Formats: sequence, C-alpha cells, structure tokens
Amino acid sequence: MRSQSSNETWHLRYLLGDLTEGEQVEVEDRAFADAAYLSDLEATEADLIDAYVRGGLSQSDRRSFELRFLTSPQRRRKVEFATALATMTAESEIQEPRAAGRPFFTRALWGWNPVVQLAAGIAILICIAGGAWLVSENAASRSRVAALEAERRGLEAREQSLRQRLGEEQSRAAALAAQNRQPSEAARAPLLASLILAPGLSRAQTSVDQLVLSPSVQIARIEIQLESRDDYPRFRAELRTRSGEEVLSRSNLVRRKSGPGFAVSVDVPASALAVGDYELALKGITTDRTSQDVGFYYFGVQRR
Amino acid sequence: MAVDPAARQVWSLTQPAFDGLLALLGPDRDIGAARYLEIRRNLVRLFEWRGCTTPEEYADETINRCARKIGEGEVIRDLATYCIGIGRMLLLEMGRDRAKQARPLDEAREPRVVVHEPDDDHERRVECLRSCLGRLSPDQRKLILSYYQGDRGDKIKNRTGLTRTMGISHGTLRMRALRLRASLQLCAENCLRNQAATLP
Repeated sequence: MRSQSSNETWHLRYLLGDLTEGEQVEVEDRAFADAAYLSDLEATEADLIDAYVRGGLSQSDRRSFELRFLTSPQRRRKVEFATALATMTAESEIQEPRAAGRPFFTRALWGWNPVVQLAAGIAILICIAGGAWLVSENAASRSRVAALEAERRGLEAREQSLRQRLGEEQSRAAALAAQNRQPSEAARAPLLASLILAPGLSRAQTSVDQLVLSPSVQIARIEIQLESRDDYPRFRAELRTRSGEEVLSRSNLVRRKSGPGFAVSVDVPASALAVGDYELALKGITTDRTSQDVGFYYFGVQRR
Repeated sequence: MAVDPAARQVWSLTQPAFDGLLALLGPDRDIGAARYLEIRRNLVRLFEWRGCTTPEEYADETINRCARKIGEGEVIRDLATYCIGIGRMLLLEMGRDRAKQARPLDEAREPRVVVHEPDDDHERRVECLRSCLGRLSPDQRKLILSYYQGDRGDKIKNRTGLTRTMGISHGTLRMRALRLRASLQLCAENCLRNQAATLP
C-alpha cells in the first residue's frame, strides 16, 4: 500500500503517461472501484494543471502535459479555468498581507557577539515598550472612530428614513391631488417609482427596503447613495434575484451629485421586476478597466 | 487521436439494443439509466486520461460495441468492467492502426506537439470567475482561494494551515476544494456561454 505522497507521485506519472500499460490499468481499475482514490487522482490532476499554468513543470513534463492535456476540448477547458483561477488567487494574495514569521531570526541572533546581542536586546525592549504605547493609543483612536462611525450610520439611516417618508408623502399628495382633479386628469398615474439605497445594508437585516410598483409604473429608478471613497469614473450595476439569477446589468453608469454626496441611478423596466427579493451589486470601473466591488444592496419588490 | 471513421465498426445503436443494455444494468429502467451514465462517465474519464482528442466519441463507440455484443447474445456478468475492457481494446486498436499507416507529414491528423494558443477570452473568463466567487460564502471563497494559492512549498503551508484553522483532515479539505473547483468551473463556463449568447 503506497503512502499518500507516493500515491501522488504515482498519479502524476500516470497522468503524464509515464507508466506501463499494466500500471495504467491498475490505476484506472482502482479509480473506478474506489471513490476516494478517484478523488485523489482528480485532485492530483488539478494540481498538475495549476503547476503547468504557473510554469512549474520541467521541460519534459511540460511536453508530456501538452501532448495529453491540450488535445481534448474538456481538458483544454480545465487549463483555461486554471489560468483564470491563478489570476484570482494572485489577486487575493496581493490583498492579504503576508504574516510575519521568520523562525530563523532567533537562531541568527545567537550568532552575534555579546555586545551586539545586548544592543539588540535593548532595542527590542524599546520597540516593545513603544509598541505597547502605540497599541493603547490605537485602541483609544479606534474606539473614537467607532463611535463617530456609529453616529454617521445613525445619521445616514435617519436621512434614508426621511427620504422614504418624503417619497411617501409626495405619493400621498399626488394621490390626493388626483382625487380632487377632473376625471380626465386623474387618469395620469405615476410612470416612475423610486427607491433610494444607502450603504451599510446587509442581507442579514430583518427588514429591507421595499419598492412598491403600482400597475401604471413603467420604470423603477433605483438610486444608490455612494460614500466619499467610491470615486470611480464609471460604474456597473448587476441586478439579481435572491436565488442568484441575473435580471439585468447596466454598464457605463456615472455618479451625480445628490444632496451632500453622490449617487448612481439605475433605471429598471418595471416589467422585469417580479415580486420578491433582489440583490443589486455595484462595481466601480477604474481607468484601466478593472472592476472593484463597491457594495451589495438588498431590496424587495411589491406590487399594488 | 479522434475515432477514425474508417476504423469505426459500421453499426449504430438501435433502441432495442439500448434497451437490452439498460435491462442488463438493473431491473428498473431508472436504475439502469443511472448506471449507464456512470459507465459512460468512467469511459470518458478513461479516454481523457489516455490523451484522446475526442473522449466522448470513443466512449460512445465503446458503448455501441458493448450493446452489439449483448444483442448478439453474449453473456456478460459485469457490464461496467466489460465496457472498460472494450474501451481499452479500442485504444489499442487505434494505436495499432496509426502505427501501420505511414503517411506524409502534411496528411497527418494532428501535430506531434500541440501548441497552446493564447486565450482571447481570458479577461471575460476572469470576470465570470470573479462573479461566481462572489456568490460563494466568505468561508468557501477563502477556502478555494487559499487552497490554490502559492507554489509548491507555500501551497503545502497554506493547506496545512487550512486544515488547522478548519479542524479537518487533509483528505476532507482536498475533497471540499475539489468540489468547489468543479462547481466554480461549471459556473464560469455557464457565465461565458450566456455572455457569448448575448453578444451582438
């Protein structure tokens, strides 16, 4: 019975066509009979494809790989996917700071002369004391920032609530005016329904904003309020149902002034909005045409 | 290597032959169909692993031959193993036929070395993958990106770190990563297909 690592080497040789016919039959029969073994083989295949994409194969292995893996459409698709995945993992690597961990530093220190060791020790103590002071100052600053942030969110929530109430009052006023008008004027029902979405909402919130569509509404205008840091030349909005099905997407959106800040508006045909819950993903598009997530907004649609 | 039409046996899978095949796989037609699909999947894997250019065609040709044998009255105890055996014979057959035929280089079916063409759809594929990753939970996204991050030594360190953080074995982690990768690939391919359908 081979160990895990020798199994992996064996699988690599199989996948690159380096085994005899009898050995290949042995691997295949075991893979078809043992689901765990098959998964191991497929996992090795995935790692092999990744190694090829990253240029981690020897010249001879690379040649064997190309002869066997670039000949069928299914395997070519696996290689193309691996290339895209390598791009994504590289992006995520840049975003995550590498954790410091240099265990050999301690060993290196012991190699110095005693005077240097003493100086290094005093320097380390000063650094630790300074670090402790910085940590306490940082904690105080963070709590002040957190308090200010909470106050800001409270004010934004209040603004959102006031805007919604204003919208409701305007609708009510329009309805009342329509009642008092001549019968022919009352036929002019609103063609546009508006919804304002503020940042900081999450799917986990128990109540989400509702977009109410009357039968006469043709267009739903969704306004997404931006934070000051969301300064992009263009935006892209993707609207999905709760189950993830894409409803529509809009590109080349630009922000405009809205009150004290900025907002992006998306017009959606009312006919595209069935009753239910929705997710609107807003992405900022930079000058070099890469996209960055700005936020995810959740709302529900009701019909009168 | 594609299945050479001249070498392929002249016999098409008829409905009675297919019914005979399903009947041998199980008393219930649904069970038979499920086992048939599993056999076909394994045949496609076999031909893919052996470097065939058209694994699906080879798998269908193998099943045709098995169904024909059943129709001719051959007694088969384990159809799955029998089909794999027929598949291996087909591979040997094709290999022998190719060795026998000496042909000028410009009439050769495939190049000796396949050159990997640059992928024009790479940007769109990355965007689709980004969108599919966005639909995962944060834990799943972290798992898949950390699992496949780095080269060699870094990769091993990342994976060992993940097993500790998640409190699972290497085998369980490998399985989860593989399943996530497969579903992401499917999601990204669907996204690309939908994009291609909407392009003018």
